Amino acid sequence: MTSSPATVQAAGTEGRTSLRQFTRVLGAVILLFVIWRVTTVGLSEGYPASFWISQALNGLVLGGVYALVALGYTLVYGILFMINFAHGEVMMIGGITGYFALQFAQARGWMEGPWAVVVVALLLIMFIGMAASVLIGVTLERLAYRPLRQAPRLVPLISAIGASLFLQYSVLLIFGVSPHSYRKPALISGGLRLGDVFIPYTGAIIFVTSILLMLALYFIIQRTKLGRAMRAVAEDRSTASLMGVDVNAVIVVTFMLGSALAGAAGVMLGFHNTVVKFNSGFLPGLKAFTAAVLGGIGNIPGAMFGALLLGLIEAIGPSALGIPTEYKDVIAFSLLVLILIFRPTGLFGEVLSEKKA
Amino acid sequence: MPVESATRAVRTGLVAFAFLAYLIFIGVPGKIGGSALPVLALISALFIWLALRRESAALSGTAVDPGPGAYQKKPGWEIGPRDTSDASPFVDHLPFSVVTGFVLKGVLAGCTTGLLIAVLSGVSATAMGNGVSIQPVFDKIVPVNVAALIGVSPGQIAQAEVPLLRFVLQVLFFAGAGLLAALVAAAARSSQSQAEQLARLTTRLSGPTTVNVARYAGVALPFLLLAYIAWLGLPGVSVFGSNEGTIRLLITLIATGSGLFALRLSLPGRERTVVGVLLGLGVLAMPFILDQFQNSVMGLVFIFVMMGLGLNIVVGYAGLLDLGYVAFFAIGAYTYAFLSAPFSSPYVSSLLLLLGVAPESPLLGYWMALPVAMLTAAAGGILLGIPVLRMRGDYLAIVTLGFGEIIRLFMLNLGELTNGPRGILEISQPALFGLSPSSVTFGLLSSQGWIFLLALVSSALVAFVAIRLNDSRLGRAWFAMQEDEDVAEATGVHLVRTKLLAFAIGATFAGMAGQLYAARQINIFPENFSLFVSIDALALIIVGGIGSPAGIVLGALALKGLPEVLRGVDEYRIVTFAALLVIMMIVRPAGILPSARRRIQINDPNEMGPDSKIVSDGEAEVVQTAGVAKNAANGQEEAM
Amino acid sequence: MTALLSVQRVTKVFGGLTAVDGVDLDIEERSITSLIGPNGAGKTTLFNCLTGLHRPEVGEILFSGSSLIGLRPDEITDRGVARTYQNIRLFGRMTALENVLVGQHLRLEASHWSAVLRTARQQSEERAARELARDLLDFVGLSGREGVVSTNLPYGDQRLLEVARALGSRPRLLLLDEPAAGMNPSETDRMMDLVHRLRDEKGITVFLIEHDMKVVMSISESVAVLDYGEKIAEGTPEEVRANARVVEAYLGPEVEVQEATESASH
Repeated sequence: MTSSPATVQAAGTEGRTSLRQFTRVLGAVILLFVIWRVTTVGLSEGYPASFWISQALNGLVLGGVYALVALGYTLVYGILFMINFAHGEVMMIGGITGYFALQFAQARGWMEGPWAVVVVALLLIMFIGMAASVLIGVTLERLAYRPLRQAPRLVPLISAIGASLFLQYSVLLIFGVSPHSYRKPALISGGLRLGDVFIPYTGAIIFVTSILLMLALYFIIQRTKLGRAMRAVAEDRSTASLMGVDVNAVIVVTFMLGSALAGAAGVMLGFHNTVVKFNSGFLPGLKAFTAAVLGGIGNIPGAMFGALLLGLIEAIGPSALGIPTEYKDVIAFSLLVLILIFRPTGLFGEVLSEKKA
Repeated sequence: MPVESATRAVRTGLVAFAFLAYLIFIGVPGKIGGSALPVLALISALFIWLALRRESAALSGTAVDPGPGAYQKKPGWEIGPRDTSDASPFVDHLPFSVVTGFVLKGVLAGCTTGLLIAVLSGVSATAMGNGVSIQPVFDKIVPVNVAALIGVSPGQIAQAEVPLLRFVLQVLFFAGAGLLAALVAAAARSSQSQAEQLARLTTRLSGPTTVNVARYAGVALPFLLLAYIAWLGLPGVSVFGSNEGTIRLLITLIATGSGLFALRLSLPGRERTVVGVLLGLGVLAMPFILDQFQNSVMGLVFIFVMMGLGLNIVVGYAGLLDLGYVAFFAIGAYTYAFLSAPFSSPYVSSLLLLLGVAPESPLLGYWMALPVAMLTAAAGGILLGIPVLRMRGDYLAIVTLGFGEIIRLFMLNLGELTNGPRGILEISQPALFGLSPSSVTFGLLSSQGWIFLLALVSSALVAFVAIRLNDSRLGRAWFAMQEDEDVAEATGVHLVRTKLLAFAIGATFAGMAGQLYAARQINIFPENFSLFVSIDALALIIVGGIGSPAGIVLGALALKGLPEVLRGVDEYRIVTFAALLVIMMIVRPAGILPSARRRIQINDPNEMGPDSKIVSDGEAEVVQTAGVAKNAANGQEEAM
Repeated sequence: MTALLSVQRVTKVFGGLTAVDGVDLDIEERSITSLIGPNGAGKTTLFNCLTGLHRPEVGEILFSGSSLIGLRPDEITDRGVARTYQNIRLFGRMTALENVLVGQHLRLEASHWSAVLRTARQQSEERAARELARDLLDFVGLSGREGVVSTNLPYGDQRLLEVARALGSRPRLLLLDEPAAGMNPSETDRMMDLVHRLRDEKGITVFLIEHDMKVVMSISESVAVLDYGEKIAEGTPEEVRANARVVEAYLGPEVEVQEATESASH
């Protein structure tokens, strides 16, 4: 449809030649800088290959967690065209709840039991974290987003910012400022040593679990009736509702799926970082959003690959560029800015870009 | 039908319980102390009343008026039908059965809440009494909060000596609250039409007089308050003993806020000019009569007014949601710090030595540094603006948020330049012609009073510039861009220039605010410039009313001033603001004092005469609020 | 006499779809030209190319002798090309008057400083702009409506307001995208009268897309026909009406097939 406003808007940026030239020059400069840093500083430091491999593995683990959170952003964006700013907090709630479940299990001595008991307990902890996240996610949708579905786009975003702060500081008020530390059970606290490379069990478990969860999500979306309804709503909400799809229900289910993944990510991140506190969802949330944008927001496989890529860049970047690790967050944010400047549709293309504006 | 309404009542009770449980968990009962139970019961009564009111309105076929800002009334924002005007009138007298139904429902809802609260406190108390330490969390909640709820001492809980009667009392309390709510709802419903008739009668009989008296009272209120503040400042006068300082601050906040409403109440023309000038003089006198603490709070409030006005240009006028606004605030503050603090940082000191300047003396005074800080901030605004030119809406928000964080991370980690977390100390104070302000004013002006005065004057200046710009072709271009970027460009608006101007001007204002903030704080640290500064600035313009300078002042008074008065509940500040953001978006997205443009859409289209009176006087009063432009109103009116 | 607007071999491709395919077109000064064609024929895309929203891959667009290719939309408006939109795109929360004032944005020169200081020059310019805006609203038949918020205007008036906004930039060429779409007969008559007066009283060249054949045949001096992005006919209304390819494009033997492909391409 050549005359639709969507096409007009999508093409709106086309004519701004000078701006495009500017971004090209900027891109070249940044690329040269990165190459220069990597060749002169990063490689000349002489880290052994095993260092890079362990860093990369670490990055993949982090990437797996980011992917789970990024999927929540992408799912919601695909359907509602809004950024669920409070998604990082949904994840944090999962982590906090998981912490209490873990405490409970440890107090009962389940964590020292036979391996089958430990595995079941760990799974239960994750499910409890997921359930808490689902509860929060659905409540969020009902209270903060649903009344605003017809409002201009900035309105739900501001509401989401409010919800995000509300959740963070409610947790602060209830559970206090101090971080809660996850104590790993003995069964998974060790690791595997392959030559010079050390692979902690938790890392391996996190990576495998996140891949499994992503596959499950992919199956739900591609193979089930529910997934078909979700895709229909993402395509065109009003037509879907005319075809008999209960749009509200689909949106709720979308929030449930996204929140469940985030809850799992929260628990796993708790084991990975060993601590959770009221604001421990903020940065991972922002990075997962970066990952979603990196892969093309609204694009499910894109979010997965974008997250793994971001994890890798974050893990390897500081050493490769020869800058202090405190700047790894700066790298992630800069990456976000750069993607949005050079390739706003992400590496794999935003599936629903026409509806964006 | 009875089953259905019973479930609805239970659901209301559940919602009320969820909210109360939240309050208990964040520790509110412990703060309130002995009267916690009645307060919570009243809150639940409020919930039940709201639910019943909605139900009763549905019964008689009238939708409850969702308030002037709700979406249903905004043309263009909704898809479904929005006309609710064909409501049938309320019935005069309710049949007895309906009242009974109301009462039953209210009591049921109240009982639900009460039972659950009793179970919650019962479980906690029992656990405590048996010496079970469930979780550190519950250990924190139980002793004080549950004790306050049950009305016993924490010791009694620990000894497991809580009589069962206490829990029954809780249930009774909430059931009573439900009954009360039901009676109020039923009474309001049956007397609605009578009250309406009465109101119509009074307005017809004494209409103009009553309205005028009320208006004069409203206009006079801020002046009375101002006089009261001045009187409180007289030697020998004290109120409530030691709390005098806080009380005076509270009255100052109320006086300033009600001044804004007084301006809106006054008639356009000479009356408004007189009120505006008098009010301006009154506010200008404040720095001289307040003490150091009150002045420092008011100074902060008006620094945030400047921030809000600047952010309003970016968000309210140009429609670009900027969450990294604190970056420019920080740039302004740090620029001034580098220029005026002795030995500000190793890097700056060595640079100064290299230039042959002694690093121990300030390089530039406040006034000389002002243009530098403004220009640096503006440059920052443009630098941030260029990469985000092509982004829309929510992307822009996230990227600017990222920028804000990057700046903060740099402040923390660039130790050579910024001293990292140790901050920059001993920033010099603004002086007048090389003299300290108190020597010029014969000691009438404290150092914080001087900052407050500067903040007042600067925010008036900023408001003046913002309003004038918004009223020019630039303002129209901003608004057009906000409405439809592509059409605006095709109509001839240079998007790049217009957007960058918005970013640059907004950043300049933030830079000014930052410089003044640095002077106020004397020592600045990276944590002064966290994301919450951005959020505060955004919250105050949203709560006050996007696009409306008067609303921004009101928002700053409420969001930055009130928490200082309510020191005891300061920890609930952020939670309250966050909830307020969500609630405002749902209930009244245009803010408390909406701008003229936003009010247009709220007004009925039929009221909009061809002469567009509403537009002109709305804009004019906004102009007046700043207390600067006297002829602006006239200019506006002839212009429209 | 050279043409005011000369479109030469303009081609615009979206992905695999060639929306506009090598179109040549000349529009004389002070003429009224219509562009017709079935849905999805590329008419609006051509307009978007003319106003800088799209950049054609191939071809040249000359406006009074100089190229428009690569210019930003606002620069093209500055040269004297203004347009309206098929699906009305007014600045919804602005009043009618403000919409027209935004239309004049390019023609106002007072600096932003002078706006802050309210210099005499800036004030007189603003007054003149408001005066002109009122005149333009009168011209399109919206007198007395200047204070109405544009979303509250009736549909037909919104279309007229779009024309007034476009006139604010004092164009030499006005592109109207389906000006009479969705209008009732009397509103259509008003619009046709307006198009005539635009040319006769203001000397503006009008280039319009229209589906209503009655309108097209009665107001245009020449008609161009697009089908699948290609220009298949051009001439006076009578010539076009008699053209076999045009008849085929509109009614042709493969109506159903054509519709099917159209909906597939959406």
